[in-house]
Amino acid sequence: MIKRLAFDKYSALYLWALFMLYFGITKSDTFLTNTSFKLVVVENVITGVLALAFLVPLTTGTYDLSIGAMMSMSLVISAYLSKHDVMNPVLGMLVALAACGLAGFISGFFVVKLRVNSFIATLGMSQVITAFILHTSSQSITSPFPKSFMNIGAKQIFGLPRFVYYLGVLAIVLWFVFEHTPLGRYMFATGGNPEAARLAGVRTDRLVWGSLVASALIAGFAGTIYSWKVGNYAQSVGPGYLFPAIAAVFFGASQLKGRANVWGALIALYALAWGIKGLQLTFSTNTIWIEPLFQGVSLLAAVSLASRQGVIKVPRRKTAAAIDVTPIDPSIAPTEAPA
Amino acid sequence: MLRIEHLSKTFPGQVALSDVGIEVEAGEVHALVGQNGSGKSTLIKVLAGYHQPDPGEATAWLNGEPLVLGDGQAATGAGIRFVHQDLGLVGSVSAVENIALTVGYHTGRGRRIRWRDETRRTREALAALGLSDVDVKVPINSLPPSQRTAVAIARALVGWEHGATLLVLDEPTATLPGDDVERLFQVIHRLKDQGISILYVSHHLDEVFELADRVTVLRDGERVATKPVSELDHMALVELIVGHRIEITTATDANASGAPLLTVRDLRGGTVRGADLDVYPGEIVGLAGITGSGREHLLGLIAGQIPREDGHVVLEGTEIANYQPRQAINTGVAFVPAERALRGVVGPMNVRENLSISDVSRHFVRGRLRRRAEVAETKHWIDRLSIKTSSTEAMIGSLSGGNQQKVMFGKALRLSPKLLLLDEPTQGIDIGAKDQIHRLIDEAAASGMATLVASTDTDELVRLCHRVVVLANGFVKMTLVGDHITTEKIEHTQLESSRRGS
Repeated sequence: MIKRLAFDKYSALYLWALFMLYFGITKSDTFLTNTSFKLVVVENVITGVLALAFLVPLTTGTYDLSIGAMMSMSLVISAYLSKHDVMNPVLGMLVALAACGLAGFISGFFVVKLRVNSFIATLGMSQVITAFILHTSSQSITSPFPKSFMNIGAKQIFGLPRFVYYLGVLAIVLWFVFEHTPLGRYMFATGGNPEAARLAGVRTDRLVWGSLVASALIAGFAGTIYSWKVGNYAQSVGPGYLFPAIAAVFFGASQLKGRANVWGALIALYALAWGIKGLQLTFSTNTIWIEPLFQGVSLLAAVSLASRQGVIKVPRRKTAAAIDVTPIDPSIAPTEAPA
Repeated sequence: MLRIEHLSKTFPGQVALSDVGIEVEAGEVHALVGQNGSGKSTLIKVLAGYHQPDPGEATAWLNGEPLVLGDGQAATGAGIRFVHQDLGLVGSVSAVENIALTVGYHTGRGRRIRWRDETRRTREALAALGLSDVDVKVPINSLPPSQRTAVAIARALVGWEHGATLLVLDEPTATLPGDDVERLFQVIHRLKDQGISILYVSHHLDEVFELADRVTVLRDGERVATKPVSELDHMALVELIVGHRIEITTATDANASGAPLLTVRDLRGGTVRGADLDVYPGEIVGLAGITGSGREHLLGLIAGQIPREDGHVVLEGTEIANYQPRQAINTGVAFVPAERALRGVVGPMNVRENLSISDVSRHFVRGRLRRRAEVAETKHWIDRLSIKTSSTEAMIGSLSGGNQQKVMFGKALRLSPKLLLLDEPTQGIDIGAKDQIHRLIDEAAASGMATLVASTDTDELVRLCHRVVVLANGFVKMTLVGDHITTEKIEHTQLESSRRGS
C-alpha cells in the first residue's frame, strides 16, 4: 500500500496537496486568491531559473556554486551599459550573458584541464566575480531600465509577466534534452560513473565543460529576469537565491525518478513556496525566518525519506568489494563478509 | 616459533584450505608460494583474523603459547605483524602521521601531540631499515613505491622490542618497479640480519631463491611440500607449484591466414615496456602473465584507454589514436574492462541505459530518443545473452555479478566490433555464468571477430584460446599455439619467464 502511494518519490506532491488543503481551509479568505497565486508564482521564478542552472552541471557530477554571483554579474553589466547609454539595452543584456558564458568557460578550464574540484573552482570563480561586481557598482548605476527593454520580459500575458513563461520554456527544453536526447543520457552517465562513462566512449570532459558554460548562461538569464521583475539595479542580489535554489534541486532529486530532474526540482520549489506562503499568512508579522527554516526542514525530511527507502542507491558493498580487489585469489574473493 | 596444524577453511561451494600446516622457525625467512587459488592468501587472512577457520582440529602455537586463529587482536597481541599487499597507508598524509595513526600519538600536556617526538620515532624506525633518506614529512603519495612499502614495514615494526615476533609480508613486490625491488630486498636482508622471522608470500620465484631459507608450497588448498630452498632449483619449484594437472581439451584451430586484423608495434605504457602483436580475424588470443608482467595494461593501451608512451596500434589500416576511447570505438574496438564495479557499470542507471551507453544515438530518430526501440533492443540482448533481470528498467545494481557482466558484454557486442578486448572477463562470477560467457566468446570469434582475452585464470585461457601470448617484465616472452596450450605449460612459462633480468 505504502509502496503504491510512493510517499518517498512523490513526497513533494503530497506535501503540496496538504498545504493547499490545510491553508485553503484555515486561510480561505487570503490563501486561495488570485493575488496569492500570482505572488507565489512570480516571486519564485528567479529561484527556479537558478535551480535549473545548478541542475545542469549536477547531472554530470559537477557543482556550480558561482551561479548566484553569475546572476549578479549579468545584472550589474546590463545596468552599467544601460545607465551609461553605451548600447541598446537588449544588446547590453546579450553582452552580459556572453560575459557569464566566458566566466563559466574559465571555471570549466580549471575543472577539466587543471583537474580542480568543481566545488572549489566555482567557489573561487564566485569570489572573483563578486570582486568585479563590487568594483563596477561602486559608481552609482541605479537607474530604471528603459520601457522597451522591460516590455520583452515584464509584459503581462494572461495576468502573468512573460518571464514566468520563459521559465516554463527553459524547463521544457532542459527536460527534453535530459530525457529524450543522447546528450542527456551521456550527461547522467558522466555523473553516475565518470570512469565507466569515459571508457564507454562518452566525452566526459566536454560534457562537464559545456555544462558549466550552460549553467553560467542560465544563471546570467536569471539576472536578466531580475531586471525585468524589479526594473532597477540592486546590489548583490544573487547569493541570497543560491541556497534556496540548491535546496530545491536536492529535494527534487529525491522526487519522481530518484535522480536529479527538472520537474522534481520545480515541484519541490513550488510545494515549499506554497507552504511558506501559507505560514506567512498564518503568522502575519515578522515572518522572514519561516522561509529558510521551512526549506531546511523539508529538505532534510524529504531526502531522509528517499534514502531510507533506497531510492538513492549507494552500492556500498559493491564499491568496497571492488576496492578490496584480491588479485591473488579471485576465485574465492566474493564469499565471506569481513568479521 | 609459529606452528599451525590441521587448518581447514571452506567457503560456500569451495574448499580453500584442507588440513594445511606450516612451521616458521625463529630467525628464518619462510616463503609461501602457490598459484592463484592455491589458498595462500586465505591462509594469511585466517592468520590476520580476517577469516575464521573451519571449526575442528585447527591448532596454532606461537613461541610455545597457544594462538587463537581467526582473531586479529589475538594475533597482534601475540606479536604477529602484517604488511598487506595494498599496504593500507593513508596516501594524503605524511609518514610521521601514518605511523602515529596506527601506533598512537605521543601526547604532552593538554593532549597536545608532540610532533617532534613523532618525527624522531619515524626517522629512527626508517633508519633501522637502512632508509635514512626518506622524507617523512611529505604525503605518502609523493614518495616512490619502494619507500612507501618501507614506511608500511616500519609501521609494522614500531614497538617491535615489545614482544613482536613474526612479520608477514604479503606480495610486497607485486606493484614495485624493478629498481625498487632491489631496495626492498636490502631492507628485508637487514631485517633478517637482526634475527626477525619473516613469512614471505610471493608469486616471484626468483625472490624466493634470493631471500628465503625454506619454502612451503600450496596447491589447490593443500600443502604440497616444505623444503629448504637450497635443496631446490627453479624447475623443481615450478614443478611443485604447478603439479601435473588433468588437461582440458583446447579450443579448435582458427583460420589464421591472410592479413592480420590488428597490428601492435613496440607498444609502451604502464607495465608494458615494448609489445608486438598480430591478431587475425576469427582468432581468440589469450594474454597470460603474472601481475606486473604487462598483462594488466596491454588491453587498455590498445583500446586507447590508458595513455601510451610510445608505439603504434593499427586496426585494418586505421591507426587507433592514443588515449581516445571514442575514436577506438568508432574504429571498431570494443572493450570490456576488468573491475566491473569501478569501470564497467554506471551504478545509478538501469539495465537499458547501461547497455546502450556507448551508442545511444542509433535510437535518436527525427530529433527524439525512441524509447520503444531502445527497450526492444534491450530485450533482444537480454534474451540473446540470457540475462536474468526483472525488467529492462531494473537498476543495474540489482543484478548478480555474472548478469552485470553479461550486460557489459551486450554493451560491447551491440557495437558489432571488429576487435573485442576482454580484461578478466569472468572475474568474480559463478560457474554457470562463466560457461555462458565462454560460449559467447566462441560465437563472437566464429562470426569473424578477433578477440583478445587477458586473464589470470589459466584454465579459462586453455578453454578459449587459439593462441596464448605469455608476457613477462613488460615484453612478449613466448607464444603458445595448438597442443602447446595447456595449463601446465602456461603456468610454467609465466613463472619461468618471471626470472628477473632474463
